[in-house]
Amino acid sequence: MPWTLLFKNMFSHPFRTLLTMGSLIVAVFLLCFLRASLVALEAGVAGASSNRLMVQSAVSLFVDLPLSYQGKIENVDGVAGTCKLQWFGGIYRDPSNFFAQFAVDADRFAAAYPEVELTQGSHEDFKATRTGCIIGEDLAKRFGWKIGDTIPLQGTIFPRTDGLPWELTVSGIYKAKTANVDNQTLWFHHAYLDEALVAGQATGPRGVGVYVVALDRGASVERVASQIEDLFRNGPQRVQGTTEAEFQRQFVSMLGSVPTFLGSIGGGVLFAILFAVLNTMLLTARERTHDLGVMKALGFSDAIAFWLLLGESLLVCVIGGGLGVALAWGTQGPLGAGLKQLIPTYVIGQETVLEGLALAVALGFLAGIIPAWQASRLDVVEALRAEI
Amino acid sequence: MLKLPPFSYNLRSLWVRKSATLLTMVGIGATVAVLAGVLALQQGFASLYTTGGRSDVVMFLRPGATSEGESGFRRETAEILKKNIPEIAIDGEGRPLASGELYLAVRREKLDGGETNVPIRGVEPMSFAIAGDAMQVLEGRHFEAGTDEVIVGQALVDRIKDCQVGRTILINTTPFKVVGVFDYSGPFRSEVWGDAARMSEALQRPGFSRVVARLKPGTNLKVMTERLKNDKQTPSKVLDEQTYLSSQTMALSVTLYALGVFLALVMGTAAVFAGTNTMLAAISARSHEIGVLLAIGFRPFSIFLSFMFEAVVLGLLGGLAGCLMVIPLNGLRTGTTNFQTFTEVAFAFSVTPRILVISVGFACILGLLGGLIPAWSAASRDPVDALRRG
Repeated sequence: MPWTLLFKNMFSHPFRTLLTMGSLIVAVFLLCFLRASLVALEAGVAGASSNRLMVQSAVSLFVDLPLSYQGKIENVDGVAGTCKLQWFGGIYRDPSNFFAQFAVDADRFAAAYPEVELTQGSHEDFKATRTGCIIGEDLAKRFGWKIGDTIPLQGTIFPRTDGLPWELTVSGIYKAKTANVDNQTLWFHHAYLDEALVAGQATGPRGVGVYVVALDRGASVERVASQIEDLFRNGPQRVQGTTEAEFQRQFVSMLGSVPTFLGSIGGGVLFAILFAVLNTMLLTARERTHDLGVMKALGFSDAIAFWLLLGESLLVCVIGGGLGVALAWGTQGPLGAGLKQLIPTYVIGQETVLEGLALAVALGFLAGIIPAWQASRLDVVEALRAEI
Repeated sequence: MLKLPPFSYNLRSLWVRKSATLLTMVGIGATVAVLAGVLALQQGFASLYTTGGRSDVVMFLRPGATSEGESGFRRETAEILKKNIPEIAIDGEGRPLASGELYLAVRREKLDGGETNVPIRGVEPMSFAIAGDAMQVLEGRHFEAGTDEVIVGQALVDRIKDCQVGRTILINTTPFKVVGVFDYSGPFRSEVWGDAARMSEALQRPGFSRVVARLKPGTNLKVMTERLKNDKQTPSKVLDEQTYLSSQTMALSVTLYALGVFLALVMGTAAVFAGTNTMLAAISARSHEIGVLLAIGFRPFSIFLSFMFEAVVLGLLGGLAGCLMVIPLNGLRTGTTNFQTFTEVAFAFSVTPRILVISVGFACILGLLGGLIPAWSAASRDPVDALRRG
């Protein structure tokens, strides 16, 4: 195999090769971007704990369960502990500053979510401060919050009757060990919220959106879930118990056609780039006709002719695709930061890298195979007669 | 007067190099199709919310609430709102055209699997008077007030389980019979409507989510909004339907726009590279012809323009190919969750003439950019050298 010739061929039109590589870089970068977005949208499902049950209303995502359910759930065999989880939906200064806030049982939170690891502050401090809260490190970075800072949140579901915002104090900053919890959530005392509702300082529904149930080691998830569902089968609110993975999946399934949609865009990109590379390879092959004729006349085999062209196509695609993957890899920091709102966990994972490279190889093969086949079948006399 | 080589020369050149022309066309076409597809989706979604809104229909929400789902009024408060606001229009029998509505998104199974949130709206009879002719029953009949019957929006019929006439849907623990299918503007098309009192009982939710009313012509909405914001007895947030609907769609619309622009820029770059390649190859193969053109007296600038024209035609052809690829999407129904309301909305791709014009324009720009370097290199050739080659 004349490798030197292969490389010389590749750069016989350096500008053209660079342009082809350029479009490959862009296309593979885009494909990696789309792929990583899809992976990120489903990240919550992937990192979910299998030992955790989420009990919520079977009727609607927006209906609360009575506070009295907690004791009843804890009496079910196999339940190790529970923790309230109530969506707060407050606004920090402006609706565009959106982030998730949950009211939880402060004394049970650490046990219910062991993956939420405090990097600053302490759980003891959180428990002891009635207005305390724990925030994710990305959230702390985004708004420049430190331990001891006060966060004003305007209630939307739970507005205060005096019209003022709720004030929470930062007791801890966390970094989650798994992808099911993002690093932009705020957790605070459910007791603080509930006391204000009881005292009439705020209005809104008194209840709990979700009970997070931790199971005893070895307890069957299905059995415990169905026992809890049976407890409340006849009302007042029917419940459904799901694993955390299924719980997260309901939000993913809400995306409806979005994943398909991103997939079709990816298809369009691939389609466009395939034609661009194929076009270049056909041009190249035509220009090589004369050269190939000479080579064949000198006694090089058809197989060499075949591999010269296919090899060039593969090489261009692998270099271009590789640079595209590298670009996606290199820009994940700034891109991820820009997309924080939309796709909280945008990362180019190992799988995405491998898929990007595999696609590049496939493109090179598809674009090179026809010209290569033509080259191997080239008749020496015809080829030598060709003008270019 | 600048003398240009005849246009037919360029057109025939494109024709002679059929395969390269076709491949570039398809490449540019696919780029344009992606842009047009995203825009069509955004258009379909936006028109759902912006065409339905009426400026003389207003809604009263609890202060601080940003959507119906968050809002809530006690029954007594709603009654006061309905009766005591002078701006609300009166019907033929002297009753105010105002209605309390209960709104909740409930879990429903999709026909193609998976779960989604479908809004249920419990309404009082006056809601139909406010809707007027815009609401029509397409199949079956209206539900009877005070009974466990519902009507379903047209967009739900082929998407959601049990949302067909004759079937029964279970709401919490109460079965409701589906007796009709209705069509109404905008997102209402994706809702289930039933009797407010019966829904309230089934869902164990007392009170209303909002009060909706039709205003007397010429009402000053601003003054009324300000007054009710600070009202002692019934403080509330007043929004006209148009404002409300567009506020509910902002985030998704902006996201789709941004996605469209981002994709167009990135893919456009790749398409310009590919276009440059095609034109460069076309020009290097025609070195001899360019020499002849220069030798018989065409100015380099004329050659430049001539090749730019060829590149734009290539772009134009690509743009037309892209339009052909995207037109079949028109009317294709799809659905996603509007994360501002957490409810499912069904809508259709809408390939408007404006989108087609934008796409073709974009394709021409791609062709233009792709032609710049090749046309420049053609024009700056030395005639003797060009004639000698090839």
